[in-house]
Amino acid sequence: MFKNVYDWIDERLDITPIWRDVADHEVPEHVNPAHHFSAFVYCFGGLTFFITVIQILSGMFLTMYYVPDIINAYASVEYLQTQVAFGQIVRGMHHWGASLVIVMMFLHTLRVFFTGSYKAPREMNWVVGMLIFFVMIGLGLTGYLLPWDNKAYFATKVTLEIANSVPVLGPVMKELLQGGSIVGAETLTRFFAIHVFFLPAVLLILLVGHFIMIRRQGISGPL
Amino acid sequence: MSHQQDPHESLHKPPTRKEMSRRQFLTYTLGGATAFMMGGVALPMVRFAVDPILHKKGEGDFVKVVEAREITDEPQEFNFELKQQDGWYLSTSKLTAWIRKDANGKVYALSPICKHLGCTVGWDSDRNFPDEYHCPCHGAHYTKEGKQLAVASSPLDEYKVMIKDDWVYLGDIIPNTIVK
Amino acid sequence: MAHVDNSKEKEKVVYVGDSRVRKGKGFVAPPDYTAYPGKSEAFIPNFLLKEWMVGVVVLVGFLVLTISEPAPLGYPANPAASVIPMPDWYFLFLYQYLKYPYASGDFVVLGTMGIPGIAFGGLMLAPFLDRGKERRFYKRPIASSLMLLSLAAVVYLTNFAWTHYQHELEARGQLPEHIQREEEAREKREKGLPTSNAIRPEEELAIVDADDPAMEVYKKATCVSCHAVDLKGAGAPSLRGVGDKHDKEAILTIIKEGYNGKMPAVYDAAISAGLTDQDIDQLAEWLAKQKSEQ
Repeated sequence: MFKNVYDWIDERLDITPIWRDVADHEVPEHVNPAHHFSAFVYCFGGLTFFITVIQILSGMFLTMYYVPDIINAYASVEYLQTQVAFGQIVRGMHHWGASLVIVMMFLHTLRVFFTGSYKAPREMNWVVGMLIFFVMIGLGLTGYLLPWDNKAYFATKVTLEIANSVPVLGPVMKELLQGGSIVGAETLTRFFAIHVFFLPAVLLILLVGHFIMIRRQGISGPL
Repeated sequence: MSHQQDPHESLHKPPTRKEMSRRQFLTYTLGGATAFMMGGVALPMVRFAVDPILHKKGEGDFVKVVEAREITDEPQEFNFELKQQDGWYLSTSKLTAWIRKDANGKVYALSPICKHLGCTVGWDSDRNFPDEYHCPCHGAHYTKEGKQLAVASSPLDEYKVMIKDDWVYLGDIIPNTIVK
Repeated sequence: MAHVDNSKEKEKVVYVGDSRVRKGKGFVAPPDYTAYPGKSEAFIPNFLLKEWMVGVVVLVGFLVLTISEPAPLGYPANPAASVIPMPDWYFLFLYQYLKYPYASGDFVVLGTMGIPGIAFGGLMLAPFLDRGKERRFYKRPIASSLMLLSLAAVVYLTNFAWTHYQHELEARGQLPEHIQREEEAREKREKGLPTSNAIRPEEELAIVDADDPAMEVYKKATCVSCHAVDLKGAGAPSLRGVGDKHDKEAILTIIKEGYNGKMPAVYDAAISAGLTDQDIDQLAEWLAKQKSEQ
C-alpha cells in the first residue's frame, strides 16, 4: 500500500534520488565518533540543528497560550507555566533550549575554526554559518522580552540604549525597534513579530543554504 | 566444541532461521532512537496542547438573579452577569433569561438564543405570534415552554435553575428538558 | 564538480515515463572520500545511528534539566521597579565591555561600532583573511591566537559581569526576582492563597438593590450628571462600592457640603428638583448599602 503510493509519486516526481542522496552518502571515518572518540566535536553542528528543531516545535506550541500584549503577556506566561499541564516543561524546553542552541553553535563554530574547515572551498558556508549565528542571537534577544517581566523589560531597555548609541542611524534604529518613543505595547508586538515570523523565516532559508552547501562540498578532510 | 567436531557445519550452510542482517539491526535501532527522540520532544508538547480538553469541566456557578415571588406565569426577561475564568482572563458575560413558572409552580428559565441561527428571540414581540417567543431574523417562533413551531430544529435551551432562600439562581445552559 | 563538461550526456537525456521530468542523476554528485584514510560508511543507517546516540544522551540531559529547573519568571514589568538590569548570559561580555571607559562616554562609537564591528566582521570574514592552505590550528598562529585571545576575553568579561551582579545583589540584599517570586508563590500556596502576580483589571462591582426607589431619587438629584446612570462615574468617580468608604452619615454630609473641594454641595439642587429631606435620607442609606461584598 505504502509502496504503491510511493511508486505513484516517484514515477511523477522522481523523488528517489533526493533522499537516496542524503541517505546513502558516505561519511568518512575521521568524523565518526565510533572510530575516534575525539570526533564527537563533529557532532555539535547536528546537535545545534536538533535543538533548533526543539526550539521551533516548543515555540509553536507556546504560541497556543501566549499573547503579545503588555497586559496579558505576563498573565498568559504565568498561566501556561503554572496552570497548564506540562507548561513548565514546554516553557523550560524553550528557555533552556535557547541557551543550549547558543552553546552548541558556539562549540560548532570553534570546531570549524580550529580545524580550519572554513578554508577554500567552504568560505561561503562559513559566512552563512555566521549569519545563522547572528540570527540566533537576534532570536535570543527578541525572545527575552516576550514574558514581559521586569528582567525582560530592563534588559531590553539596555539593549535599545546600546542601539541608540550608534551614530546617525542609532536613534532611528532604536525607535524602529521600539515601535515608538517608549518600551511598551508596540515594542512587545514588534519583538513578537520579529521573534516568531521574521527571524525564523531568515533562519530557515539560511539553514537550507548551509545544508545544501555541506552536501555539495562534503565534509572537510582529516587533518 | 561443536565447532571443532564438525568444522564443515558452520561453513556454507544457509541460515535455517530468518536472521536479522546487520543492516536491518541498524535500521531498527535507528528507528527506535528516532522514535525515542521524537517522543521525548513531542509528548510534553502534545500534552501541553491538549490540556484544555483534559480539564474537568467544573459545575458552573449559580448566579443570583431574581426573587422567587416575582416570577409569574407570564415569561419575564431578566438580565444577569456571569463571571467566567477564561484561561488567564476573568471575564463577565452578560446573559439574559426568560423566566416563568408553570402550572405546578415549577420555575424554569429559557435562553433567548434562537436555535435556528443564534439571533435573540423576544416574548410576545410580534403581533402575528401572540404569547409566543418570536425571532425577528427568520421568523422562528416557540411556545411558552420553548417548543419550536417553525424554522428552528430544536426547542430553546434552558438554564439550570436553583431556588434557595426564595431567590432564583441560574446556572449553566442545558438543552431543553420541558418539551421533547 | 560544477564544471564538468556534460555536452555528451545532453544527447541521451532520459525522461521518467512519458513526462517532462528528466531522470535525475542523483541530487548532487557525492564527494569521493577514497582519498581519505580509513573506512567511510553510509549516512543512513550507520552513521546517523552514532550521531543519534549522542543526540539521545543530550536529549535525556536536556529533559532532566527542564524537569528539574523551571524556566525563570519574575514579576510583571514595571518601569518604576528597582531591578538591576541583566541581559541574557551570552550578552554579558558585550554588556560588561561597554562599561569600560574606552567603550563608553566620548568613545561610545568606538565601543558600540568600532571594536565589535572589527571583531565580528573579522570573524565573519575569517576565511578571506586566513587564506593559507594550512588547516591545523598550530600552523596558523595568528588566526588561532586571535581566536584564543578573544575567547579568553569573552570568558573573563562574562565572569566579571556575573560576579559583579552577584555582589550587587548581595549589597542590596536582593534576590533575583524569579527566585523571589517562586518563594513567594510557595508561601502563598501553603496558605492556600492564589499565587498569581498578573495584573488584573479591577473587578467590576455590581449595583446593590438596583430597583430600590432610591435609584429614582439618585437620577432626580442630579447625581447622574457626574456619576452616570450606572453609577460607574463619568468625570466623577464610580459610586459602586462607595459604602465601603463612607457610611450613611458621611454620605449625607458629602451631599450637603461637597467633597474634597471637587464635588460641590448638591443638596440645594436636589431640593429644588422637588425632592424632600426624606428622599435624600433614603438615597444616602441606599448609597451606604453599596458595598463590594454582600
